Amino acid sequence: MDPIFFHRNPETATGHGHAAVQGHATGHGHAPDDGRLRGLKVAVQPGVAVKGWPTDAGSHALAGYVSLEDATVVQRLRGAGAYLCGSIHAAEFGFGLAGGRTGEAVRQAFADIELVLDSIGESRVAAARAGVCGLKPSYGLVSRFGLIGLIPSMECCAVLSRSLDDIRETLRIITGQDGLDFSLPDEEAPDFSSMAIDPGKITIGVIDEAQDALPATEGEEFRASLEALRRRGFTLQEMSLPDFSLFSLVHRIVGSVEASSAAGRYDSVRYGPRAPGAKNWNEMYLLSRAAAFGPFVKSYLIQGAFFQFERYGAFEDACRIRARLVREMRRLTSQVDFLAFPGIDGGAAGVPSGGMAGVPSGGASGDTAAGVPAKGGPGSPGEAPSAPRYGAQASLRGVYAEFASTLFANVTGQPVLYLPSSPGGGRAGIQLTGPRLADGRLLALGESLLETDRKGD
Amino acid sequence: MEFEAVIGLEIHIELNCATKMFCDCPNRPGDEPNLNTCPTCLWLPGAMPRLSEQALEKAALLCLGLGAELQPRSAFDQKVYYYPDLPKGYQLSQAHLPLSRGGGLDIIDENGAAKRMRIHHIHMEEDVAKLVHEMEGRVPVSLVDFNRAGTPLVEIVTEPDLRTPYEAMEFLKALRTQVRSVGSSECNLENGTMRADANISIRPRGTTQMSTKVEVKNMNSIRHVGDAIAYEISRQTAAVQAGEAVLLHTRLWDPDKKVTLPMRAKFEGPCVPDPCVPVLELSEEWIETMRARLPEMPSVKAGRFSRRYGLTDDEALSLIADPEVARYFEVVAEEGVAPRTVMHWLITQLVPAVKERRQELAGSRVTPARFAALLRMLAKDEINASAAREVLVSMFDSNEAPEAIVGVRGFEQISDLDALDALIDKVIGEQPGAVADFRGGEEKALGFLVGRVMRASGGKANPKVIRGLLADRLGEAKP
Repeated sequence: MDPIFFHRNPETATGHGHAAVQGHATGHGHAPDDGRLRGLKVAVQPGVAVKGWPTDAGSHALAGYVSLEDATVVQRLRGAGAYLCGSIHAAEFGFGLAGGRTGEAVRQAFADIELVLDSIGESRVAAARAGVCGLKPSYGLVSRFGLIGLIPSMECCAVLSRSLDDIRETLRIITGQDGLDFSLPDEEAPDFSSMAIDPGKITIGVIDEAQDALPATEGEEFRASLEALRRRGFTLQEMSLPDFSLFSLVHRIVGSVEASSAAGRYDSVRYGPRAPGAKNWNEMYLLSRAAAFGPFVKSYLIQGAFFQFERYGAFEDACRIRARLVREMRRLTSQVDFLAFPGIDGGAAGVPSGGMAGVPSGGASGDTAAGVPAKGGPGSPGEAPSAPRYGAQASLRGVYAEFASTLFANVTGQPVLYLPSSPGGGRAGIQLTGPRLADGRLLALGESLLETDRKGD
Repeated sequence: MEFEAVIGLEIHIELNCATKMFCDCPNRPGDEPNLNTCPTCLWLPGAMPRLSEQALEKAALLCLGLGAELQPRSAFDQKVYYYPDLPKGYQLSQAHLPLSRGGGLDIIDENGAAKRMRIHHIHMEEDVAKLVHEMEGRVPVSLVDFNRAGTPLVEIVTEPDLRTPYEAMEFLKALRTQVRSVGSSECNLENGTMRADANISIRPRGTTQMSTKVEVKNMNSIRHVGDAIAYEISRQTAAVQAGEAVLLHTRLWDPDKKVTLPMRAKFEGPCVPDPCVPVLELSEEWIETMRARLPEMPSVKAGRFSRRYGLTDDEALSLIADPEVARYFEVVAEEGVAPRTVMHWLITQLVPAVKERRQELAGSRVTPARFAALLRMLAKDEINASAAREVLVSMFDSNEAPEAIVGVRGFEQISDLDALDALIDKVIGEQPGAVADFRGGEEKALGFLVGRVMRASGGKANPKVIRGLLADRLGEAKP
């Protein structure tokens, strides 16, 4: 089995003309291969629909499923001349990264960019592990048509790359109104042209409470990074968001309820594997759905169903608190130019994060994809050849602990740029965010920081 | 103890849109199974709903036509349940923020009193797929037809203002008239474009208590709605009188046995907001644009018909029940034919003839102009009523002017007095008995003689003229 790619494009990179014709044939309004991204190699997750490609979203629930149409992001990238090199091994529905190889195609230069579904912070954690840049755009900026995830109100197509320039050019192409996704707000796309950043005129806010839960070493690293920013002339401003710890709870309740409902379609009636031996359709549901999901996703869906059916009031409270957190964050971002959040201690690429409580050793990294079967995966006996692909082990508590520093942006929908640590080690990996639609300015800030990284402090 | 029923209705109406609610598939549920499907209405992974503008407009017009207040903000929710007719595990419906609130219809109850029946709210939702249960050899199989999945619906939820089966039936008739006139739906219980479920409970007459209600489904005619409610009232009354508790559940009407039977409950949870269909924000301006598109409402139209065409209230109501009939009537009446003649011939002759041929009034060969020409000949006594009926039949088969059909088929009335005198002479000669009876004072005998002359004329004589001529002749000859 290929250690990184779940599916490689059967056409070679020279087959661009053909890809462009395909893009044109889908008729989404983009000119065939306008050349703006010609030569750019793109890796996707198997939850991004590419016409004719196996698109199982990393789940047994969709084993063998082949897409009938391109996702809008794919169609637009093709239209700009980018080459789709393949789809990578990913966690079930991309959620929580467990068992996938997200970030590896970019780290090992098999691809220039990777499209990553960010539901809880996956793009930023994967970027940290791979030591590359990652941008989660503002929610509603990129069409979700053809993306298969679990949490519609929080998930967003993010971009990983070694180069911020490639991220910028990719965003120029994939953002903006889409006739196939009416949920995009009617607003102007951000300005992605490069702009000069004068550190002396920039204030970066830091939320005290966001550092509360950090392990001691990460806290020190973050403070050292902030000090590096100060030395470069940025003004830092301490800020307070007393309810910061509620982000995790809100994400968990709202996210799991949405996931429980979103995964309702995997019922084996029209597509997906149907478990044998059912005497009636109620049994068909029970048996097929029991075999469809790995234990991690299953526990998430069951939790969501619990809140929906048994604790609906808690779900309503979570929705109200979410609205309040969005308002609070809007207030904070309006007072400064940017906000800095701790980066994620990704460790070296492919090595499981130290923060993954409850994750069996090796379970969070690429072992599964490398051919070692996931421990305790459900792998129904009839699906032996593909069983290792599904059902990586992780615990809800472990994943929520690992993504505690990233999930706030999925709750609020604001854009976040992850920058890896500076080569000299003067600055650790860091997340930078701003108000909604600050995507272009974040990239400019990132470029300015990387530039000074290169010059050395 | 005397009981009264408290009845509320939940009425689903299929909007006559060109496409489904969230995709561009044709809205034709009756086509060959699974012909009208796409990744969106099959809800394949990655599909996104795209709310149809036409569905929103038709739903909004329907709300305004029922006097409801369109809400500035409404939203779709996910009604979660697992059933093979629901391809994504939830139905998109407006559970928390409906499209409109309030509104209502006036009906006349069995005592002739006017009563206002209030509507609680109206919301939009998508229809589910259709299940077909068949046998493959000895194995029962369930097949799913997704043509209907995603058909645009509105659900009208009334206040529990209805008290009798009669009132429920009158409400449905008034609703049908109103919705048809705004043009949002065919609104037919028989073909499923309207579906009515009834919530029924009983309580001691004169009290205001709210008892446990029972929902009854599966009535596919207005008559069945009345029958099912009547059955359920007597069933619950008998139960309460026997000291049994009425349990909250759903029952199905069995039209053959004429009883309601309990059905197995569907598992349903609370609805959660849908993150994919945008929240609908209707501006005051948009709502006013919709209001301006509303046609003349039936009650207003009925008043105008009585005044302008000198019809009784009942006659006016019979014409406006179907907007197409009302439109046709106006065109013909404005051609100078007596309105009551138009109404009578339209309702008793033309509409049944069109229906019999499975045609639409609007597309029929009998255009208002040809129908007016026919009625004008009748009014001028150029043809008699029975000839007019035969000419009408011929008009469905050709585009010739009615005058030409009358000429070719020889339907003109015999108005030549010499020819009629000859026929009358002949009949008087043949029927001395009847002549004697009439002369003896038996008026009925004159009718018999008129009939004989008509028969001798081959139906082409004018009975009024013959009656006059006969009376004159026999009177003259009276000794």
